Amino acid sequence: MESQLSSLIVSLEEKEAIDECLRRLVEDTGATHAMLLDKSGQVIASHGQVERQDTTALGALLAGTFASSREVARLLRERDFRVLFQQGVRENIFTALVEEQWMLAIVFDKGTHIGLVKVLTKKATEELAAILERVRQEGKLRDEVISTSFRTSMEDTIDLLFRD
Amino acid sequence: MALINIAAREIHCKIVYYGPGLSGKTTNLKYIHSQVPKEAKGELLSIATETERTLFFDFLPLDLGRVRGFQTRFHLYTVPGQVLYERTRVAVLNGADGVVFVADSQRNKLEENVRSLQELARNITRQGKRFAEFPVVLQYNKRDLPNALPVAVLDRYLRYRTSDGNLVERFEAVATTGRGVFDTLKAISKLVISKL
Repeated sequence: MESQLSSLIVSLEEKEAIDECLRRLVEDTGATHAMLLDKSGQVIASHGQVERQDTTALGALLAGTFASSREVARLLRERDFRVLFQQGVRENIFTALVEEQWMLAIVFDKGTHIGLVKVLTKKATEELAAILERVRQEGKLRDEVISTSFRTSMEDTIDLLFRD
Repeated sequence: MALINIAAREIHCKIVYYGPGLSGKTTNLKYIHSQVPKEAKGELLSIATETERTLFFDFLPLDLGRVRGFQTRFHLYTVPGQVLYERTRVAVLNGADGVVFVADSQRNKLEENVRSLQELARNITRQGKRFAEFPVVLQYNKRDLPNALPVAVLDRYLRYRTSDGNLVERFEAVATTGRGVFDTLKAISKLVISKL
């Protein structure tokens, strides 16, 4: 059973490895944009033409869509639902699951062939799965970040900001 | 599971407003959105039907600014409350760090509240988490209505003991006017932070 007390902590090193993986994926496929999301919808890393889009909202929606499609698959008694393809007029989005924790979303236009995206995304998800495995081991970093004084500062900020 | 990004110095937490249909989940988010300073909030995103009933979720990102060097973000979501959307609620609940359960205080809504809370417990358990340990705050909404049940009655049916032996925290609210909305948000935020 997953402990509620654990957070997922991405270290500097692992973040660089993730960035490199996304950069290569965008370059090799000619896609416009690649994002790594947590299943909760939070954006872990993003590469490409990000400034044109609201990545926060995009992350929330993509994660929601994926989770929803997964429920549809479950109703259809699919055993293992791992990828989702959205075909647009201008741009397409291919989303693939990384283990059960993360999602890799890649946005591409007509200039990129879906077959290439599928193949290279599969390779990238394997790399990311290895990184995720290392991130899961990083629990010890937690105490360096989440100290008692951090919690106190956070509570003060909450009191200051969350009021009428 | 909260996400701590050391490289980008960011902390993200996800809070979900759960509860039966028309209990005031979206109203909570709308009120928060109207009051939080501009620099601390993003757009309120709603996926709703033409009649303004939530179809998928509402989403409000809040940015608390830097806390000891870490950019801290809370993402607030609501679920669609109507019974038929149960599987959609499962999807939105995915990866949540804390839940505000918004109950409708009206006498004729008691059964719906109880069922919805039971469903929440079931869905949290299905995610592999222990419900009694999971950060939850109750909000008894619509306290201004003449047919609102006494708090003691709602307590009897909804307020449960958490794993540390204490009763789960609960707040009275009138989300339309904002009463109790921020008390609820503060309580769940602190609870989530305490469990990071």
